[in-house]
Amino acid sequence: MARADFLERARRYSFLIMLGLVVWLGYVTATGSLVMSVPPNYVGEINSPWVGALMTVSVSLFLGWFGFYLVKGSVSRDYETGVGQIIATTPLSRPLYVLGKWLSNFAVLGVMILILMIAGIAMLLLVGEGPFDAWALISPLLFIALPCMAIVAALAVLFETIGWLRGGLGNVVYFFLFTLVLSLSLSAKAPRPLLDFTGIRLVGDGVGHAAQVAYPGSDPGFAFQILNEIATPQRFRYDGIDWTAGVLLPRIFFMLVAFGLAMLAAVFFDRFNTSKSTVRRRKGAALSATEAAVPEAAPRPEVRLTPLVATRRFSFLALYIVELKMLLKGRRWWWYAITAGLVLLQLAASGDSTAAMLAITWLWMILLLSGLGNRESQHNTREMVFSAPRPVLNQLPALWLAALTVIALTGSGAFVRYLLGGDTPRLLAWFGSVLFIPALASALGVLTLSRKPFEVVYVTWMYLILNGVPPLDFVGMTPASPWLFYMLLAIGLFALAAFARKWQLRDRNLST
Amino acid sequence: MRLTIEHLSKQYRRDFWGLREFDLDVGPGVIGLLGPNGAGKSTLMRMLATITQPTEGTITWDGVDIVRSPDTLRASLGYLPQDFGVYQNLTGREFLEYLAAIKGLGGTSARRRIDELLIVVNLGDAARRPLGSYSGGMKQRVGIAQALLNDPQLLIVDEPTVGLDPEERVRFRNLLSDLSRARIILFSTHIVSDVEATATEIVVIHKGRKLRHAPPEKLLQLPEGQVWQWVIPSEALPALKQQHIISGTVRRQDGIQVRVVSADSPSPEAQPVPPSLEDVYLHLVSGNGVKQ
Repeated sequence: MARADFLERARRYSFLIMLGLVVWLGYVTATGSLVMSVPPNYVGEINSPWVGALMTVSVSLFLGWFGFYLVKGSVSRDYETGVGQIIATTPLSRPLYVLGKWLSNFAVLGVMILILMIAGIAMLLLVGEGPFDAWALISPLLFIALPCMAIVAALAVLFETIGWLRGGLGNVVYFFLFTLVLSLSLSAKAPRPLLDFTGIRLVGDGVGHAAQVAYPGSDPGFAFQILNEIATPQRFRYDGIDWTAGVLLPRIFFMLVAFGLAMLAAVFFDRFNTSKSTVRRRKGAALSATEAAVPEAAPRPEVRLTPLVATRRFSFLALYIVELKMLLKGRRWWWYAITAGLVLLQLAASGDSTAAMLAITWLWMILLLSGLGNRESQHNTREMVFSAPRPVLNQLPALWLAALTVIALTGSGAFVRYLLGGDTPRLLAWFGSVLFIPALASALGVLTLSRKPFEVVYVTWMYLILNGVPPLDFVGMTPASPWLFYMLLAIGLFALAAFARKWQLRDRNLST
Repeated sequence: MRLTIEHLSKQYRRDFWGLREFDLDVGPGVIGLLGPNGAGKSTLMRMLATITQPTEGTITWDGVDIVRSPDTLRASLGYLPQDFGVYQNLTGREFLEYLAAIKGLGGTSARRRIDELLIVVNLGDAARRPLGSYSGGMKQRVGIAQALLNDPQLLIVDEPTVGLDPEERVRFRNLLSDLSRARIILFSTHIVSDVEATATEIVVIHKGRKLRHAPPEKLLQLPEGQVWQWVIPSEALPALKQQHIISGTVRRQDGIQVRVVSADSPSPEAQPVPPSLEDVYLHLVSGNGVKQ
């Protein structure tokens, strides 16, 4: 099963994209655009242990963070395609099923590691110093990156077997979970091997120690930077990790943890028994599908269809209202309560806190926004929706306007606050965001026909905004927010979404 | 009201054509598209529904090329795909309201139309339930209702009776017959009895090509004198299947009554019987190398 699952995913378009990104990661690492250093300007000699450490940190950081999103989805696919119902009738046990999924996830991430390993070898052969030591290059990937990927693979299966973590909420939860564990591990004064599942602290401490031996004046700790060259780097020799039992045991422990997480998934896995799922029911809607299928015994009234008047005028307002309803449909009372609370907090807060509350409120909208532009693909309604007149000119603007309305309403607390306080720069950033956020969601949704890319991009972006990165700050957290750029980008992204949809309708077979 | 298709072809891969050199010219009525699985029926329907672009050929609706200007047809089109999904959180009524707005319908006329359609497809009582709680047959009926929302002049329904119980199938056939007076209905299926009950014209497709286009009564003349019926012992059936196209079998106390399509009498006991549409269909597709 693991083999078939791996092959199924390896033949997917998303796998090729991730493969491309990993190749790019290997390239930027090998060409020195991705730099591991000890502050202020100490860099290791490019020997086998250094390249091994560099590649390991790249894998643990990037694949640890984003690999989850690549592999998550295989159990959901079995639910959606109905393959699960077939699997459920076979003797395959729950533990074996989740084990197969875990191994398949692990294999996908393993291929990525293999590619980075090849990039590392190429880097050593091209610009390496000293003799080529295969073990020094491979061992950190084997003992550090692989256990990390095993945990990521197991978490992906676990999240998919827990109903409320299967969808977009799980994507957001994982992002913050990974960030939290990584921060705890890196910020601890003394190393905590049992918290360091990424192994970044283990590598970092070793690199920092090697730098201090060579240059006692170097700062403690280490840095990992992208596309940022070090001016006049000073080289030190790094000899890699001494694989003692004390180092290896926690790594073996993480493999066992990964296995344990996969087995835990078997406990939550409902074996595709959808009647167990917590589908929300309303008053008068309590019948299950099977019950509902029973034909009614009551006599039926015969009705003739009244012909529609030939002259019909398209109503954009009607379409806008149904799109708005669609966006808000299915949200429960507590969702509205939290949203209202966040709007009130925007009003109650002041200055930077208002902007932070605004960013948090708009982050809260992530699951509502991630369906923009891909809803028809997700629900297989493409053929019905896109065979209606002018699907690009009618539907896409209505959708964008509906999302814009929701974003504006949920940001109304901050809007009032800025208006009353005469905070023009933040008011402009607010307008920019209201245009930009739905445009970004629509563009990514139409281009990828999936919710996941927007969820990953948006949660990362908002996290960086909340941590004060001015160039990315469309919300207005800082006075330097480039609001005009984001307003223009919003227009560009909306145009991109429209062109992409038009292209999909004109040149592609939508049904395949 | 005229739908004209000329030299229509769709190529999926270099060595595989879903449809080849297909011609058709039809006016109001129910046109049944009959063919085995993979014959090209859905490919043709998706091209007519402006979802897929043809590789070659033209499709014109009242003289307008719909490949170049698909919106000309879309305003008058109702389409039920073979495989479709729904929005689970919406009720049946809300889903129809959404698609009505997408099709440019609104106001009281749309609401009245939805009310009528919900009764016509027998979902009046379930209209306020979320679609997630619907059975497969109920979802199929919602699909039928959405195809009729805009009172289409061209109604394309791809395998519409899949998942419907016998009672609903009959209702749907009657509905098609009622609707057929002032519109073109293209109805694809591989279930011969569905076509037999409703179609005013039948098009038989096989391996991407049109085999025959004629009214049912003309098609029934094709294998006249070539359908035979007699009783054989049960153990003789496998051997007979190897030699002839068997269009039907009925178990009896004295053996199995078989129905065979063959140009010559297959057995001294065989008696010629009037052909059914099922016999015609098998006769046509077997001529292209397919046996039951």
